[in-house]
Amino acid sequence: MELSASAVRPAGRGEGAPGVEQLRAWTECYGEELRAHLGRMLASAADAEDVLQEVWITASTRPPELGPESNARAWLYRVATNAALSRLAVERRRRAALQSRGDRLRPDALPAPDAALQGADEGTRRRVREAVARLPSKQRRAVWMRWAKERDYESIARALGCSPESARANVYQAMKRLRTELFDLEEDTGR
Amino acid sequence: MTMREPCWVSEQGVLAFVSGDLEPTAELAVAEHLAECEGCREQAAEFLALGDVLPATGPDEKGAVRWDVFEVAPETPLYVAVTDRGLARVSWHQESSESFVRELSGRFEGRTVVRDREALSDVERELSEYFRGDRSAFDLPVDLSSLSDFERRVLEAARRIPFGQVVPYSELARRIGKPRAARAVGNALGHNPVAIVVPCHRVVRRDGGLGGYTGGLEYKERLLAIEGRSDLLAG
Repeated sequence: MELSASAVRPAGRGEGAPGVEQLRAWTECYGEELRAHLGRMLASAADAEDVLQEVWITASTRPPELGPESNARAWLYRVATNAALSRLAVERRRRAALQSRGDRLRPDALPAPDAALQGADEGTRRRVREAVARLPSKQRRAVWMRWAKERDYESIARALGCSPESARANVYQAMKRLRTELFDLEEDTGR
Repeated sequence: MTMREPCWVSEQGVLAFVSGDLEPTAELAVAEHLAECEGCREQAAEFLALGDVLPATGPDEKGAVRWDVFEVAPETPLYVAVTDRGLARVSWHQESSESFVRELSGRFEGRTVVRDREALSDVERELSEYFRGDRSAFDLPVDLSSLSDFERRVLEAARRIPFGQVVPYSELARRIGKPRAARAVGNALGHNPVAIVVPCHRVVRRDGGLGGYTGGLEYKERLLAIEGRSDLLAG
């Protein structure tokens, strides 16, 4: 079952912002399948319910700009999936911080869940900073522009003096290498 | 890395999803796949965790200080560091790698200090050749930006003293236009952060004495011996 955005937009309302009617239609049409999708991703019904509420909040506060041809279902899946991944990412970051070889494992060195949600602790930031510093300079600049500056590939390509495809490849190679270095500690022989 | 079945979504595809680079149809398909595939989900979460931390790491505009340690000669571990401008530190008096990193963090405040063997490969090669007696001049750029103007002038003058030659402190003072500053010249040489490559060991006393050496007089003797100047060493 699919609804287009225009099919559920209440008559007489302004463009874009979903009204109460539209949100109700979305929850009725997609609520169950999104809950199941989130349940599979998070392996916890309670977490899935939490994230689903975040999705509805996002839908009402930062609604999509959906044209008549747009797919509301795809947009909701994207919001839900990203919200679930963010929750998993916090766990990953905490794990990466815990596995840091340089940091002593003291009970008070473990970041509290709240601290992890608010951002990485200094030890994690330092490790990421060092890993970024080890990247080849083009990859380093590309990944910084993409993730810290949220620049698109065309503008990164102009800054680096290369093609957008090459900019994309540099960001990918950088992310791949950072991921290996920061999360694959079994392969890290420690030189 | 978690072992996983080959998957129709590539690692690059997972990253594209996390970056918001996919068309809606592909995005929906990948979203559904992520719910099924733990390996891809883990990749996506790790990319996202990285992306969350990256902005907090700072742009590293000044560039990192890169260091390594290697044995140029038996029992002689040499600690070296480069910046994007060039060789910034050569030292053999370090208790440990940690103490060297601490020193670099203080000398280059606010900059990332990172171990990076690749970035030091030219330095390692040239220094090893020198210690083997196969090199008489270095092609390495040096970064003396952490020094005062006076110290820099002294070290740049010292750098022009050729292999195997020695110059008195007073002569070096004259060469930088400060003929009465021999003692200050000695002090500046004592602050040379890039021993060997800026050859402060080639500056000696006018009366034939070797003078001092921050790295230890036995090293000054050893370097002069490498350069064929054993004649200068006290019998």
